Amino acid sequence: MKLFKKGKLALLAGAMAMAVSGAFGSFALAADVTINMAVPDWPPTRIMQDLANKHYKPKSGNNVTISLDFIPWPNYYEKLAASLTSGEEKYQMAVSDSQWLGAFIEGGYYMKLNKFIDADPELQAIFKDLHPNLVASYSTYPHKTDNFYGFPQMPDVLVTYYRSDLFCDAGEQSAFKAKYGYKLACTPAEMSDTDWDQVRDFGEFFRRSSGDSLAGQTLNDDFYGIAYQAGIGYDFNTMQINGFIWQHGANIWDETKAPTGQALGVVNSPTAVKAFEHYLSLLEFMPPVVKTGTMDIFKTDELFREGKVAWNIQWIGFGESAISAETSKVADGTDFAQMPGLRNDDGSITRWSNIGGQPFVLTTWNSDLVTQESVDFVKWWLSSDTQHMFAAAGGQSGLQSVHTTDAYMDYRPWNHAFGPQLNWQKDVWHIPEFFELLVQQQQTFDKAITGQISAQEALDSIAVFQDELLREAGHIE
Amino acid sequence: MARRREIGKAGWRRTAVTAAISFIYFFPVLWIILTAFKSHTDALATPPKFLFSPTLDNFVAVFSRAYQRGGDAVDTKFDLFFFNSIFIAGTSVLIALIIGTLAAYAFSRWPLKGNDLYMFIILTTRMLPPIIVIIPIFLMFRVTGLAGSYVGIILLYSAFNLPFTIWMMKSFFDEIPTEVEDAARVDGSSEIKIFFKICLPQVKAGIAATAVFGLILTWNEYLFALLLTGIETRTVPVAMATAIGGDIGVRWGLLAAIETLFLIPVVLVTFLLQNQLLRGVTFGTIKR
Amino acid sequence: MSERYQHRQGLIAQFISENRGPLLVTPALAVLVVMNIFPLLWSFGLSFFKYRANRIKEPEFVWFKNYVKVLNDPNVWDRFQTTAMVVSIDVLLQLVVGFLLAMLFEKSFPGRRVLLMLVLTPMMLSFVAVGAFFRYYYEPTFGLLSQAIKAITGETYILLATPEGAIAGIIFADMWMWSPFVMLLVLAGLVSVPKHLYEAAEIDRTSAWRRFWTITFPYIRGLLLLAILFRTIEAFKLFDVVWIITEGGPGTSTETIAIYVYRVAFQYFKTSQSAALGYILLFAVIVLTNLYLFFVRQRAAEEGG
Repeated sequence: MKLFKKGKLALLAGAMAMAVSGAFGSFALAADVTINMAVPDWPPTRIMQDLANKHYKPKSGNNVTISLDFIPWPNYYEKLAASLTSGEEKYQMAVSDSQWLGAFIEGGYYMKLNKFIDADPELQAIFKDLHPNLVASYSTYPHKTDNFYGFPQMPDVLVTYYRSDLFCDAGEQSAFKAKYGYKLACTPAEMSDTDWDQVRDFGEFFRRSSGDSLAGQTLNDDFYGIAYQAGIGYDFNTMQINGFIWQHGANIWDETKAPTGQALGVVNSPTAVKAFEHYLSLLEFMPPVVKTGTMDIFKTDELFREGKVAWNIQWIGFGESAISAETSKVADGTDFAQMPGLRNDDGSITRWSNIGGQPFVLTTWNSDLVTQESVDFVKWWLSSDTQHMFAAAGGQSGLQSVHTTDAYMDYRPWNHAFGPQLNWQKDVWHIPEFFELLVQQQQTFDKAITGQISAQEALDSIAVFQDELLREAGHIE
Repeated sequence: MARRREIGKAGWRRTAVTAAISFIYFFPVLWIILTAFKSHTDALATPPKFLFSPTLDNFVAVFSRAYQRGGDAVDTKFDLFFFNSIFIAGTSVLIALIIGTLAAYAFSRWPLKGNDLYMFIILTTRMLPPIIVIIPIFLMFRVTGLAGSYVGIILLYSAFNLPFTIWMMKSFFDEIPTEVEDAARVDGSSEIKIFFKICLPQVKAGIAATAVFGLILTWNEYLFALLLTGIETRTVPVAMATAIGGDIGVRWGLLAAIETLFLIPVVLVTFLLQNQLLRGVTFGTIKR
Repeated sequence: MSERYQHRQGLIAQFISENRGPLLVTPALAVLVVMNIFPLLWSFGLSFFKYRANRIKEPEFVWFKNYVKVLNDPNVWDRFQTTAMVVSIDVLLQLVVGFLLAMLFEKSFPGRRVLLMLVLTPMMLSFVAVGAFFRYYYEPTFGLLSQAIKAITGETYILLATPEGAIAGIIFADMWMWSPFVMLLVLAGLVSVPKHLYEAAEIDRTSAWRRFWTITFPYIRGLLLLAILFRTIEAFKLFDVVWIITEGGPGTSTETIAIYVYRVAFQYFKTSQSAALGYILLFAVIVLTNLYLFFVRQRAAEEGG
């Protein structure tokens, strides 16, 4: 009983406080606003907090505190989902993977931004300057419509990490030439011009056993040529396999074609099977952990930084730790290039890849004042100066007026690959059933990766599952 | 009632074998502790390094480290997370102990109608996989607004510890002979005096054992803590995951250092109350 | 006035002394009802509705549809089978290892307290650390296990490459972590064997084997049964270690029912369906709990007689 009374009292006090602050709020010169933002705990968000603390001065003159809740990556999704759906209304903004847009927009948690954009020429200019592939993946729902929800926080793409100390070694160069009849790629420009056939040769060529010599030094452990993600967790094989599927001209289920777009016959088309087989065929040149189906982006990153593999495909977000001597044994001999693709007859390369990175979004339960401050913060974040500071500290910018400048190219050794690679990005589904599609696909791909089933069987099973699920959800009629 | 048998003495051969096996069993833990003292270059060296020059860098990094290359070291808030873990686990074990002991005393001395049924229902709640309970609790927190607060997680952990506490303590109360109490009652002592002066001192060991077991079970709880704590109430097991994922796979040294530090309180408490533990583990259902 | 007050005081005192039991039990039951039983009933109700926590749509009453759906879900049966296999092997190994460890610590020797602590530490570790480090121990390039085997055979050893190996890896990690629990149970039984029984046996020159079966075993039999049920119930909850070491792979070969419930509830947000699945699991747990009590009571009856 006592408890209830106390609760009522507290409620009353709260209501009074609100009334008082409301009454005086309009007279006060500066209001106190706190924006709590759920973010994954890693450098791009830590840098954002740092820059906000040092440089952010709200135009409104209010006392705005940008408070980031750094949540460990492994449980970030579950934690964000729990917070949003539990109704605790704790976060005013959140960094979200683009694929989660559908699930949380349908739940009414992410705020539609069109009215702000329509009313604000500055925001319109920002949207015009953002790379269109980023707007499509990070902002639109339903995918590729004119309904906008997010802004890029840390755009990310897959690029090639390679050991230039090995690839440019004179001895290795001549041995490679002798064996394969063409020059081993060495400079970032040469490496950016590679196709999967060359990658296969890299894999075979750089596979050395303990006791063999590598770039003039005797190895005391096995060494492997290539690596890319092939892990069962989260999206750690889909992201690479999708690239192969699109490059070969096949497709995943296309949500923009709903409700007539099919899964059966598309997902398991002969071309898709060929693409998946192509992906699988390169696994034999990778470190032995690939056979467990757990070689995720963290494992390939570790293998690369520990100097066990010569060449790796990785998100740019891992670049800092690869070139930092505190975390990497190959910090000095590492360089970057665009992700390989399929060579066309005219010598050009088709490089479709799955986009990574995260947008940030506004939540729906905030007062107009908080919402306005959030929009202002986003505008500051996406201003040219801030984006340059972010890039100088190791982040990426989705603004074309920033990432095409000469200054941008000099910030980090991978930046030259970022802009061109952005042109080749597509994204996996954004519908609310995203996780069900993803988990079944990851597990089925994993069975093929660990040799339990064939590529054809895997894609057939995925197509049947998706057809059933999407029909039930009304995405296919 | 059989008296506790005096423990026999082991010969040196048996002692040596036990020592060897204990060390083998402990080895995976030892490796974690060793890793905590290794530099980045040594942590994943192949072949694995047993001899290396130890560093304390990882322990420093637990509390303060730079998140960007060449940037300033930033407070990681781990001091808060350690405090939270100790505060939340300590408080909830204490609450469970107090109300659980009272309930156990009642179940033991004044059985209710359907006493066994009550005890069974209480036991059932303990036996539930957390995965089942989390769904409704999650929904309830959503309505009551307890999500993210100390009160919410402490109440939850108290409930989590209660069945165990009640079952344990009931069996301890069952075991002490009631003659002394009855005599005191005849002398006109108040019930409160009987409980505090006569009964409680006799079950001290039981209270200690119950506390240790509750602590071990609560200390590393992960799922509730992940979903129901907020920025300020996060516990170490959840925050520990920060050493995994992100811009780098696993920060082995950091993860090992956090775990090593996190082991200290629970190992200390367990060591101090070791003798009682042997008793506690029978879950109170075994009478001697 | 004061008489009435005293009368009231007397009534309260009388009420208290007449209802001591219920009053003392109330706080504990209140916490349990609020934090456990109420949410359970809530989800029980929810299991008859169609509801997703990530949709605005109102719940819709659908009778037993969720139960029918869950029971017809081949994935559920598959995950149940995986769980049953993991649980039975895991618990059996824990019993054997726990028992052997207890035999080692049965007698006193210098350093016993410290050595016992070494064996007890695994169950005090965080799941995150156990998961991450065991994944590393099994990993073929850096891992200690693979390195050790490679040093002997010269071949790269990949434990987690096959479903069987992955299950073995999971079971080994969990077994290592929780065998000390069984050890403590058995040890509690061992130290409760009355000494005079051993002395009598020594006079009779009974063989060690016979001595074990006739004297020691009856004292630990109940505890062993208890350990089986206890660890079985715990193993049903197996989640974190699997989630980190294999993430349910290769394919779905190590996906336990606990992981599956988690996916349905938090990744797919089929909230009411996961509640139905939860209740089916709960039914299994209650059956196990009753078995547990049955054995314990039987043992108590034996001892009493």
